[in-house]
Amino acid sequence: MRALAGWLWSAALLLILSFLVLYPVAMLLLGALTNTNPVVDGFGVYDISLKNFIAVLGNPNVLLALANSLIVCGGGTLLAVAIGLTFSWVVVRTDTPCKRFIAAASLIPLFVPPLVAAVAWSILASPKTGLLNTLLASIGITWRFNAYSMFGLIVIFGIYYAPYVYMFTASALRNMDPALEEAAEISGATPIKTLFTVTFPLIAPAIISGMLLSFVVMLGIYGIPAVLGTPADIPVLTTYIFKLTNWSPPLYSTAASVAIILMIVTGFLVFLQQRVVSGRSYITVAGKAFRPGVMRLGPWRWFTLALAVVYLVVVVVLPTLALIVAGFRKFLFIRSIASLFDMKQYSLIHFERLFDNPLALRSIVNTMEVGCITAVVGGIFAFAIGYTVNRTKARGRRGIDIISTIPVAIPGLVVGVAYLWAWIGLPGGLYGTIWILALAFIARFMPDTIKALSTSMLQIHRELEEAAWICGKSLLGTIRTIVLPLARPGVIAAMTLLFILAIRELGSSLFLYTSNTMVMAVLLLDYYEGGNVGITAAFSLVQTVLLAVLIGIAHLLSRGRTDSSSVGRAG
Amino acid sequence: MSAELIVSNLRKQFSVGRPAVDDVSFRIAAGEIVVLLGPSGCGKTTTLRCIAGLEQATSGSISIGPDLMSAPERGVQVPSRLRNIGMVFQSYAVWPHMTVKQNVAYPLRQRKVTRAEIDRRCAEVLELVGLAEYAARPVTQLSGGQMQRVALARALVYEPRLLLLDEPLSNLDAKLRLRLRDELRRIIKAAGVTALYVTHDQDEAVVLGDRIGVMQEGKLMQMSAPVDLYNRPENLFVANFTGVANFLKGELASAPGAVRLPTGDVLRIGAPPPGRAGDSVVVAVRPENIVLRPDGEAGEVANSFPARVIEGHFHGTQTTYAVETLGHRLEVIELGTVPRFNANDSIRVVIPPDLSWVFPQDAKSAVTPS
Repeated sequence: MRALAGWLWSAALLLILSFLVLYPVAMLLLGALTNTNPVVDGFGVYDISLKNFIAVLGNPNVLLALANSLIVCGGGTLLAVAIGLTFSWVVVRTDTPCKRFIAAASLIPLFVPPLVAAVAWSILASPKTGLLNTLLASIGITWRFNAYSMFGLIVIFGIYYAPYVYMFTASALRNMDPALEEAAEISGATPIKTLFTVTFPLIAPAIISGMLLSFVVMLGIYGIPAVLGTPADIPVLTTYIFKLTNWSPPLYSTAASVAIILMIVTGFLVFLQQRVVSGRSYITVAGKAFRPGVMRLGPWRWFTLALAVVYLVVVVVLPTLALIVAGFRKFLFIRSIASLFDMKQYSLIHFERLFDNPLALRSIVNTMEVGCITAVVGGIFAFAIGYTVNRTKARGRRGIDIISTIPVAIPGLVVGVAYLWAWIGLPGGLYGTIWILALAFIARFMPDTIKALSTSMLQIHRELEEAAWICGKSLLGTIRTIVLPLARPGVIAAMTLLFILAIRELGSSLFLYTSNTMVMAVLLLDYYEGGNVGITAAFSLVQTVLLAVLIGIAHLLSRGRTDSSSVGRAG
Repeated sequence: MSAELIVSNLRKQFSVGRPAVDDVSFRIAAGEIVVLLGPSGCGKTTTLRCIAGLEQATSGSISIGPDLMSAPERGVQVPSRLRNIGMVFQSYAVWPHMTVKQNVAYPLRQRKVTRAEIDRRCAEVLELVGLAEYAARPVTQLSGGQMQRVALARALVYEPRLLLLDEPLSNLDAKLRLRLRDELRRIIKAAGVTALYVTHDQDEAVVLGDRIGVMQEGKLMQMSAPVDLYNRPENLFVANFTGVANFLKGELASAPGAVRLPTGDVLRIGAPPPGRAGDSVVVAVRPENIVLRPDGEAGEVANSFPARVIEGHFHGTQTTYAVETLGHRLEVIELGTVPRFNANDSIRVVIPPDLSWVFPQDAKSAVTPS
């Protein structure tokens, strides 16, 4: 009886997982191999041949997008490594003042939605009307910033994805025995020499791991290249895929093929990263707690502090100011510095116009609705999977574990294309409802949610459960009376995280929304592409404030346990 | 190459609390091995790190040979890399991303030594520590003991003037520790280098050190040869630390070399202690030095008192007794595999005058007799 119930439970989980993950991916593969269009030709009409996929591989436009993606993400990664490594060293290994502030500043970009960051930077540094360029012109400098360029893309990617490198390298540095560096010093090496012959080689696994992760995240980002790359006609894989589905007629099968290419590159890099993470670690464990070896920088410590301040200004302060100026100012044209402070120029007109459009309010309501469904359904499902995999001996739990981790290697945009292929041709199906968005988000963020939950579940000692069994409680009774109450803070934190990830998701929404199910991120992009800077900035501010409030609540709920690593792949 | 080390009035004050190192002065002759011994937190490692230049002293001076290394009052602070010293760390601190040879060659590469010379010296020092066959191995494939040998080779390869060792054996298992302990002394002596060795393990200190310095709460309590440390402790702390378990309170009697106990008995002491009659003192006696005799055994000796056995514990090769005498409970250790006495036996104890030490009894160094 017990065995049968366990078997049915595993089967049910596997079934749901197949529905959420395997079926869309299978349809995506199918889509890549056909040249039919499910909307035009009807669902279930395929002309399967590898030729279709190979034809796409040979397409010069695809290759150009791939090359651009690799250049932009490669350059962005190098910059991210330079910034992330510098700050992790400054925070962990120097006597720079206000280190807690620097540590916090280094993580803030994780919470900025890439689309909002890109919008802000287009306001700041578009070649003709950018605020920074206006400023340069007013003080007589002829040189101009240009965010609409390969270089601009690389810089924006680099500064906003440095935290991924920082997180890995800072913890590696913190866990490194300072005696390893002291030994080099005693051996006669200068501090710089020690840094390059001992410190950096030792944390190389962490550096590589952070590099691969930030590269993968950048590869899947749509918002930044859409906002900054499109005006300069720099297509990358993500923007190219979306463009294909917007053609008339939409080239769904070509989009599927390019999505497969993106997925293969991502999957390979994620595989590499996991290998590096689980591979041989150089971090030696000694008996005593480390007193971190701190380098006295002397007057240079003000320089390192200044670096951090500059970084914070570039990443947070300037963009926020730009959004505020653009959102509240009637006209963005700024003649002189003095007119910037002319209060008559400011009004709420953009906000009024934003909310005059019923779509804006509806998109907010829709987003909240999708967020709630994702958080509750996804949270419960992830708890079921996490418990089954970690705490039971149910049959098939290996399979459940593997399938539920697959989305790690699928960028959001590809999830969107896969769900599109899975549901668009099915009459009376999910397409066009809120639920297709929610299900796509649940699938996309499942690995992150399960990971966050497993951490809090592992903290509950097995014996606490066993004690309840001994007392005569059933398995379900034990979960209800022991596990859930103890894991509640973790479950709530995971659900809040899921909620936040869901409401800022752009990549997968792009392919799944209809005018009835419009969400905030997509509408913001629409406004931007419509060219109305004022309303775009106003809407960006609305979303930023909303997100900041939610993150604040999440922070309170998790009682200071920042789970920034889980914001991870979301970008 | 090896040089003497002179530490004068060294003080190290961290931000709060008592100084970690408090007015410590000592001198190590060239080629000598000195061990700093003490409980954890006594300041021995901080002293070592100040000498290494890894911590900056608050005041006092440190010289190696003729060169002043650290004198904060005069603004002298030579960086570690220019002090030409070798150091072996508790956690080995061998670099896991290098081979054995690369680890050992690293200090030479900082010194612009020719490639041939590097090869020659590496081979020589690896031979000395017994790792000649392991040169090409990644250090991560070595055992803890082998890693510590690599660390030692790396510290010796450039023939430093001074070798510092910070609890180098404490991460090894007990058996290996014993083996490496004896070998360490052989290697250091073969290299002829001046060495300062920090440990909390007395056995290690006694085997390794030409002299031992005992530290407590940042102060150097005594520095002398191991034999003197055990037989001529200069204060109660050192006596207690080296295993003296019996303390008898009394006062100096008017006759020289005599201590009157509260029971009225008089103890004779070999070396007459300084002080005036009536001063409160503590007599310290090691459990191993007290002699037990059956009651009524012939022969009259000094300091022989009637006693009663409270209990005995058989430890295989020795037996420990608790005996009641002179109003105290004393601990006695007798070697031998045959226990001689039972509980409640009436016996005599002999407290040898030459191996009893008298210390003034002040509030600070008061020891509660156990």
